[in-house]
Amino acid sequence: MSDFQGMEDLLQDFLVEATDMLSGVDNKLVELEKSPDDHGLLNDIFRGFHTIKGGAGFLNATELVTLCHLTENLFDKLRNGQLKVTKESMDVVLGATGAVRDMFGALERGVQPHPADPALLVGLKAAIAGQPVAAVASVAAPVAAVSNVANVASVVVTAPAAAAAAGPDWNALHDAVVGVASPAAAIEATGIAVPPAPTFSDPSMHTAVDGKAPEEIIQQAVGRRTTDRPSGAGPIGRRETEKVRDNSIRVDTSRLDQVLNLSGEIGLTKNRLNALRSDILNGRSDTDTLHALDQAVSQLDLLVSDLQNAVMKTRMQPIGRLFQKYPRIARDLARSLGKDVELVLIGEDTEIDKTMIEDLSDPLIHLIRNAVDHGVEPTADRLAMGKSEKSEVRLEARQEGDHIVLVVADDGRGMNAERLRAKALEKGIITDEEANTMDERQSLNLVFLPGFSTKDVASDVSGRGVGMDVVKTNIQKLNGSIEIKSILGKGSSFVISLPLTLAILPVLLVQLGDQPFAVPLSMVREILPIQIDAVQEVGGRATMVVRGEVMPIYPLCHMLGWAPERVPEYGVLMQTAEHTFILAIDGFMGREDAVIKSLEDFRPKGVAGVTTLSNGQIVLILDMKEILGSLGDSRGTPRSAFIPKQNLAA
Amino acid sequence: MAIDPTKLKYLVVDDFSTMRRIVRNLMKELGYTNVEEAEDGAVALQKLKASAFDFVVTDWNMPNMDGLTLLQSVRADPALRHIPVLMITAEAKKENIIAAAQAGASGYIVKPFTAGTLGEKMVKIFEKMG
Repeated sequence: MSDFQGMEDLLQDFLVEATDMLSGVDNKLVELEKSPDDHGLLNDIFRGFHTIKGGAGFLNATELVTLCHLTENLFDKLRNGQLKVTKESMDVVLGATGAVRDMFGALERGVQPHPADPALLVGLKAAIAGQPVAAVASVAAPVAAVSNVANVASVVVTAPAAAAAAGPDWNALHDAVVGVASPAAAIEATGIAVPPAPTFSDPSMHTAVDGKAPEEIIQQAVGRRTTDRPSGAGPIGRRETEKVRDNSIRVDTSRLDQVLNLSGEIGLTKNRLNALRSDILNGRSDTDTLHALDQAVSQLDLLVSDLQNAVMKTRMQPIGRLFQKYPRIARDLARSLGKDVELVLIGEDTEIDKTMIEDLSDPLIHLIRNAVDHGVEPTADRLAMGKSEKSEVRLEARQEGDHIVLVVADDGRGMNAERLRAKALEKGIITDEEANTMDERQSLNLVFLPGFSTKDVASDVSGRGVGMDVVKTNIQKLNGSIEIKSILGKGSSFVISLPLTLAILPVLLVQLGDQPFAVPLSMVREILPIQIDAVQEVGGRATMVVRGEVMPIYPLCHMLGWAPERVPEYGVLMQTAEHTFILAIDGFMGREDAVIKSLEDFRPKGVAGVTTLSNGQIVLILDMKEILGSLGDSRGTPRSAFIPKQNLAA
Repeated sequence: MAIDPTKLKYLVVDDFSTMRRIVRNLMKELGYTNVEEAEDGAVALQKLKASAFDFVVTDWNMPNMDGLTLLQSVRADPALRHIPVLMITAEAKKENIIAAAQAGASGYIVKPFTAGTLGEKMVKIFEKMG
């Protein structure tokens, strides 16, 4: 049971929109620290809290309303110039956005948020009163804090309560403001619908306001009753673990309109085809009819691919929505470490599939934390090296062809390949021999191995939860890859490359006998003929040397557990994170953009999904990683498997 | 001749889409279904000029053009000045209410509210519309 029964939809909408808004506020706060007198920023932040407060009121989330109300009051004074932005008031406000975020968390679980930390509320109140915040806000005086909270709460409660008198009468107020004898009121009295259009320059009106508008009338006019609060008293039950938020998405209306428009066009073309079909069934097959059929089919072809693109576009979201929350995280972390770091965002308009945005969130947070914590050196070290005190961490997104590239780069100390190798060796992750043959790139990639961390004691910032290995696994789950570039003393960058969307997978169609299979094209490096002369046996397993590198050959039929019908003639050089190998097949049909259909509950091992070919044939999409994993060391076959049959007979 | 409020065309103005939806839902409960939305005063003014609306329900605090400016612009436009404007805000401050009244608001309602309260305010305005 939820505290929000009957309001689930509303709650979801509110959370999606308000969370975005809060991220925007967080960002603007980071900007505000740099330019504390920016009136536009102050206004925007004010409006952010104001809007969240308004929505929270309808959800009956009293504690959230209280918190936003106080913060909003503070910003009202700041934007009116009654108060100045200070470091202390910034801290309180940043604390407030954190508390608001926590409250969103509670709402997400379907429970009413608890009151905010009393010290925070007291701090806010002190800031509003223009008192030095730090002293009051410190948790050192909890008793005083509690009594102050009571005051704060009563202040907030009295505002609406005062206006709770029954009998709201806008007309009375209106009369009071414009003066009963005014022509406008007279017209109204006659029942003619002419609302007054007063101007501010009218002096009589000002006197009326100043002199005659009694406060009670005002309050009555807008008066609200206790019954106005949305019904649904106190908590009914708890579900701490369940999240209310669903998989909703915000789509630009113009994009939906395009989808609508295209489906309409397709409907028209369908009608045309239906008409042509009956013509043809009735025996009309002259050139004109066939020509018309050809045209209609071509048009449908075009429309359907346009529709596919348009539908795909509805899933695309600007990555800026994700980026928004990072400047605050970077700022807080840098501050706690005593560093001065600016997170620079580039390419926020870059669009990316919505599901990917969500799955990228944690890896990016980790990379940013990593950059701020490990990448950027302590201020003293930077100065000693002749670098600026302020360091820059860059978070960049851009589209390159059919890929999205994300970069997290710092201007810090860079990564030391030598040290990384030594560390991995010490931890027993790699052998002596491996360490000696590793090049720079491979050494840097060591950080992605499970159990690798260059700090002996995991700090509570970067060493928490996910490690670099999880980052890499998550990126790979999205069919993406991650690379490290690093220059010692200059900085490191982590470059993530992702496909534009997850719904369409470019595949290579390979054949085993007459049966086609699809393998992800992203893993394919090249296709090469397998000639028995080039095949060597190493340790009882067939291998082939490609440009000086020894590659194992894994026949597909062997991997699938099929009896070999013929000798494979072609090899596909494939690369996964852990393996590079040659997949031996009987033939291939070319590449295709496969629309992946999952098999719902039924998922045979090694099959990622299915797709349909243009001729209607159903093809399995192979999950090479799973197949490789399930076979372990028994993947290879002896060289004899590749000896053509006629040779064997001879 | 009494007007039929269910036949009127309404414009709901708020920058927060959740709030637009709340107001729309409440109005639907009251039987007022012919509702369009605008996300700030500027967009609203454009819509009001482009096609005929009978009633405006607007938030106060919005980017680009706030509700008060929208109200003033509507009242200053001979073609629009007859349209009732109901202001919605989270604030029950005296200055705000007086400013709204001066600018010619037809009604003022403080968040949060129920369909009942909204209906009551609207009916009062319909009565005046005659």
